[in-house]
Amino acid sequence: MLAAFLRRLLAVAPILALVSLLLFGALRLLPIDPAAMSMPPTATKVEIEAARQAMGLDRPVTVQYAIWLGQTLRGDFGNSIHMRRPVAGLLAETLPATIELSLAAMVIAGLLGLGGGLGMFALRDRRGEAVAETVTTLMMSLPEFLWALLLIFVFGVLLSALPFTGRLDPGMTRPVVTQFLLLDTLLVGRVDVFFSAVRHMILPAFALGVAFAPPIMRVLRASLIDTYQEDYIRQARLRGVGETRILLGHALQNAILPTLTLMGVQFGFLFGGSLLVEVIYSYPGMGNLMVDAVRNADLPIIQAVGLTYCVVVLAITAGVDGLVMLLNPRLRGT
Amino acid sequence: MSVLRAENLCVTARIDGVDVAALDGLSLTLAPGKVLGLVGESGAGKSMLGRAIAQLLPPGFAVTAGMLEFAGRDLVAMAPDQRQNLLGRQIGFIPQEPLSALNPVRSIGSQFAEHLRRLGIADWRSAAIAALESVQLPDLLDRFPHQLSGGMCQRVLIAMAFASKPALVVADEPTTALDVTIQARIVALMRDLQVAQNTAVLFITHDLRLAAQVCDEIAVLYAGRVVEHGPADVVLAQPLHPYTKCLLLAAPAISGPRTALYALPDQMPGLRALAEMSGCRFAPRCPLARDACRESVPALAGDTHKIACPHIAEIDTITVPALAPAMVAATGETLVSVAGLGKVFRGRFGRKPTIAVRDVSFSIAAGEFVGVVGESGSGKSTLARLLMGLEQKTSGEIRLAGQDVGGWGAAARRLRLRTAQMVFQDPQSALNPRRRVGAIVTQALEAAGVGLAERRARAAEILADLGMPLELADRAPSQLSGGQRQRVNIGRALCLVPKLLVADEIVSGLDVSVQAQLLALLARLRAEHGFALLLISHDLAVVRYLCERVMVMRNGEVVEAGRTDEVFANPQHDYTRELLASVPGAA
Ligand SMILES: Nc1ncnc2c1ncn2[C@@H]1O[C@H](COP(=O)(O)OP(=O)(O)OP(=O)(O)O)[C@@H](O)[C@H]1O
Ligand code: SF4
Ligand SMILES: [Mg+2]
Repeated sequence: MLAAFLRRLLAVAPILALVSLLLFGALRLLPIDPAAMSMPPTATKVEIEAARQAMGLDRPVTVQYAIWLGQTLRGDFGNSIHMRRPVAGLLAETLPATIELSLAAMVIAGLLGLGGGLGMFALRDRRGEAVAETVTTLMMSLPEFLWALLLIFVFGVLLSALPFTGRLDPGMTRPVVTQFLLLDTLLVGRVDVFFSAVRHMILPAFALGVAFAPPIMRVLRASLIDTYQEDYIRQARLRGVGETRILLGHALQNAILPTLTLMGVQFGFLFGGSLLVEVIYSYPGMGNLMVDAVRNADLPIIQAVGLTYCVVVLAITAGVDGLVMLLNPRLRGT
Repeated sequence: MSVLRAENLCVTARIDGVDVAALDGLSLTLAPGKVLGLVGESGAGKSMLGRAIAQLLPPGFAVTAGMLEFAGRDLVAMAPDQRQNLLGRQIGFIPQEPLSALNPVRSIGSQFAEHLRRLGIADWRSAAIAALESVQLPDLLDRFPHQLSGGMCQRVLIAMAFASKPALVVADEPTTALDVTIQARIVALMRDLQVAQNTAVLFITHDLRLAAQVCDEIAVLYAGRVVEHGPADVVLAQPLHPYTKCLLLAAPAISGPRTALYALPDQMPGLRALAEMSGCRFAPRCPLARDACRESVPALAGDTHKIACPHIAEIDTITVPALAPAMVAATGETLVSVAGLGKVFRGRFGRKPTIAVRDVSFSIAAGEFVGVVGESGSGKSTLARLLMGLEQKTSGEIRLAGQDVGGWGAAARRLRLRTAQMVFQDPQSALNPRRRVGAIVTQALEAAGVGLAERRARAAEILADLGMPLELADRAPSQLSGGQRQRVNIGRALCLVPKLLVADEIVSGLDVSVQAQLLALLARLRAEHGFALLLISHDLAVVRYLCERVMVMRNGEVVEAGRTDEVFANPQHDYTRELLASVPGAA
């Protein structure tokens, strides 16, 4: 079991290597001179040349890659050209925020999706099914940035019910323990700050997550319908097991497996989708960092953020696969 | 009081706006501690009774008349929660497919726990272990269904069904998916538990001989109606309804004199066809039928032995000719010779390698029919696949018509294609669903670049050979019955008239009457074309009927081989003896 999971993790290594190569290659092809970029505009040609040699940019590309990879593996992503700070520090500040947002969005997508899937399953072959179908199609067809704008308009502007910029009410200071804001506020016992943070996250998380709920609903509904055709469901009924237990104790445990796999894949997309939502809600996460970096052609940040996205997505996929393995005894390789 | 009583029970389906009775006027009673066999071919409506008891009928089906009582209580009118209360407590069910009847993601223990807790047993663990012991299983509560064999799963399900000491157990084909030796063990276990707990059992099966061995009484079902009902031994020894008699004569026997198989034409009508039928539903296939039979429905009449046919005086006119024991054909040339053949499947993901075939040597003469028997996993199919070059041998030698065809080479493949053809077990998946029957049976010619007109002519010949009407040439496989599909499958293999036909379980899963048609077809085609046959079958009676020599396989080895009549009459190996003793109706 553990061995199978480790093998699964090992399979990730070549993908990561390939992605790092692509990131490195693509950015080297850009008509940007990192050495010139890293110096003040007043720098002389000689100074730039010195910087170029210091950065190893005069060496063969393979050596450059090796240097870059070695530094990256040590957690040294270089300095931001624009902000003149180590990229690692910037990542440490923004990544937790993005993870919090994505997790919240995934929880919303999961709750809506699983609940909706069960609801749609209950409605199967009834008249309500067509309505549910239309609603979910509508939910799915709006991209997350439209959801973001729509939610701002309705709940932020029209109803003034929820905040829609930043992470905290003005005047509040954030405690820093782990960089995860929700966790930190609880750790230092600031419940008021915690609730402020939660209120600030509702709209962006909803905007990000809501479009991912309908596929979960549909897959869950379809696999529940399939599962109900299985012999063991009939056998459980013949044993006198009640319908609620059949659903929760037998059908759902099997039908959830394809649904979980889907959610793992979705989480990757969702994580990537957080970029736009962060920008719209001025949410201080990796997305905003990335957008600024692109605007300023801040190569080290772009590389580091790109790689981070990739690592997080792969880690999540592997994690979900592990979970599915854990829940499905047939995959445990015994 | 009887445990189960059905009086004029009708289960009706609505098909294209017409009501058709899938069970038509079923009446029977089951006393405590008795075993009633419900016997019939596929589609007879056997499963409908079990489904009606649980009121889990397929969509569109409903009980429309008559009554169905459990211990004096009306099962149909009963409130659903009361019925649910009976299920699993007073009424147990044993399924046909044990492997898929247990929840794959829950351990055996957790499924036991759910059941036993519902029965109000607090210390479920020791109760479960005791229940497993009663079916001779060790404590496997921490295991999952996929880690168990079909026979073990079925024993788990039997243990669960009997855990509540139910008054009634419905067993719907409980051994059909299992090997004969395991079937014998399972049937014995059920019998022991049933006697110990004085449980009444409704035993549903297509196998008349198995029913006769297990049951006190037998009811034979045809197209939704009971056509014969009586004490098990009487019905088996002296069947009086033409259908029962034909069914018995159509199934090859494992002992006694070898006879031809009775060839019932066609097959049981489906529900749609029943809608347009009147009078006796067996009339289109009945050798004793006359016009009057189609006018009124014959009533089930008699005291202890009831028959729904007014013409039983003529029952003795239904006979089959005796056959001489299958003789080894007086042949010269050797067609197949296999020496020291072995196959090892490498273990994937660090698992142990499997030795599927080990050191097998045999030969088949031209025109000879050889059977291979053994339980599932004994290497029968691997042997066939090695012979056909679908699997690469690990060791040994395979010669076809004197030439070595063991390798992957093009010459070996060409020779194999010219000499040998294979028919697979599952006709459904072996036939391309998008092609017409005519094109399927002449595929080999198409591959060889033969023109359309010639292929058409050959297709007509083959269909005539198969005893199928020419109009079927333009049908898709999905528009054929299971027996017809398997015939097409055989026809395709015979297109180029091979010297050797390798057939893997080609009649398993087919109805007895359809099986008889196919076996007769093979015998006739042999007489016409003189090919040799390697027949793989788990059914020893089929091998006895068709093959003059037999090989018994176990764990990849041939443990016994010889002339079929000699091996079956005087088995030398313990395993052969066990195998033969397991067959229902063995003398
Ligand atoms: N779900 C269903 N929908 C429509 N028709 C059905 C369904 N299940 C069974 N039938 C039809 O009802 C009739 C009786 O079927 P039943 O399953 O009782 O037969 P059976 O004797 O149990 O056959 P088998 O040996 O194949 O299990 C058949 O004509 C069958 O085609
Ligand atoms: S009633 Fe007629 S058709 Fe029916 S079984 Fe008897 S003889 Fe045959
Ligand atoms: Mg059935």
